[in-house]
Amino acid sequence: MLQLPSIYAEYIHRWLPELLYYCLATLAITGVSFILAVAIGLFFALCRTSRYRLLQTIAIVYIEIARGLPIVVILYIVYFAPPQIWPGDWKWFTTFLGAVIGLGIHGGAILAEVFRSGIEALHKGQREAALTLGMTPAKAMMYIILPQAMRIVLPPVGNYTIGLLKDTALCSLIGANELMNDAKSIAFADYQPMAVFVLVAAIYFAMSYPLSLGVRYMEARMSVGR
Amino acid sequence: MSFLEVLNAKGWYFLGRLLEGLPWTVASFVCSLAFALVFGLFVALLRLSPWRLLRIPAVTYIEFFRGTPALVQVFVIYFGLPDIGFQPSPFQAAVVGLGLNGAAYLSEIYRAGIEAIHRGQMEASLSLGMTPARAMRYIILPQAIRTMLPPMTNFAIVLLKDTAIIFAVGVSELMSNARELVTETLQSAVVYVMVGVIYLCMTIPMARIAARLERSKQAWQ
Repeated sequence: MLQLPSIYAEYIHRWLPELLYYCLATLAITGVSFILAVAIGLFFALCRTSRYRLLQTIAIVYIEIARGLPIVVILYIVYFAPPQIWPGDWKWFTTFLGAVIGLGIHGGAILAEVFRSGIEALHKGQREAALTLGMTPAKAMMYIILPQAMRIVLPPVGNYTIGLLKDTALCSLIGANELMNDAKSIAFADYQPMAVFVLVAAIYFAMSYPLSLGVRYMEARMSVGR
Repeated sequence: MSFLEVLNAKGWYFLGRLLEGLPWTVASFVCSLAFALVFGLFVALLRLSPWRLLRIPAVTYIEFFRGTPALVQVFVIYFGLPDIGFQPSPFQAAVVGLGLNGAAYLSEIYRAGIEAIHRGQMEASLSLGMTPARAMRYIILPQAIRTMLPPMTNFAIVLLKDTAIIFAVGVSELMSNARELVTETLQSAVVYVMVGVIYLCMTIPMARIAARLERSKQAWQ
């Protein structure tokens, strides 16, 4: 029978500092791919809500493809395909970059839909009023629509961030140095898979649960105003 | 050789090899969906029960399984369970792992659907002499299904995409065949793009169905 407490008593002083160190890598991947996803998402949300048919079509195609692919497949395509198509020196293309770009592409599609629903949720009168006041469409978007839309989309963006944090575990499958990858190497080096993976689950939970409490708080506060 | 030349020369061979993995992808998807549907309903009913003693384990389960990556859960089951003397096969581990993970999400969909039914429905059934279990079975759930169907379809899409991680425990599904093929032929670009197209052929129609269900629900309301 497995005695988890005694295993932890024996190993934790070695495991925990190392795992917590790789938590930083997980958080770095989360942070950078979040920024990338927001940028991509905003761009395609604006395309999707634009008047021009061509921009709309491009946005729809991008969103459908990037949302319809499993994240692992995106990561594999991003990380393994380019060096094969364009042979050359790819040493600069680290697993970190591959992870961040892959998660950013996927998140961009999710956030584009979130931002679009935020923009469309605003009453059309807001935009019309801004245009009547002599603002250009770009100015109206920048100063009137987006600031209000941001407030609406905060809870779904929060939910996306929780998902993103958990999805970084998939980056271990392309060999990125993060929590899950390190957990695998410790688990099989010390022959303690159960103890290590349960500990890692607890660490992921400790990172994601505060986020989900925050999202719930935001949702509760937003529903008050309506 | 360029991308298109490889595709032209080896495309059919690659497709055949990749599709050999498709039955395993579909089987793990269907089995874990069935597992999640049944277990998720059970968890949702516990979650909605009037007794605290039943609600607390359900809430703990939901929070924990939604708060940790599915990959970690599958790893705990496949690599961890042997430590306590039980060795699941890769397929069993994948189905149970994705099923337990999915049940946590599905139970919240069930709960939202059940809570959306007006309380008067339950009260009316009880006053007609139904037991709470019968009222749930014949009055509440049939009506709740209508609201639950669109989010459930979306959940199914996520679950199908999640099956792409289970090659990590050795299920020989699509992604695992793709990796083998790349090791053999070194054609990573063509192979992984083909895998992507195969997934899109499954997920985009499902997304269409979800959108249609969503619209028909709005029309019905």
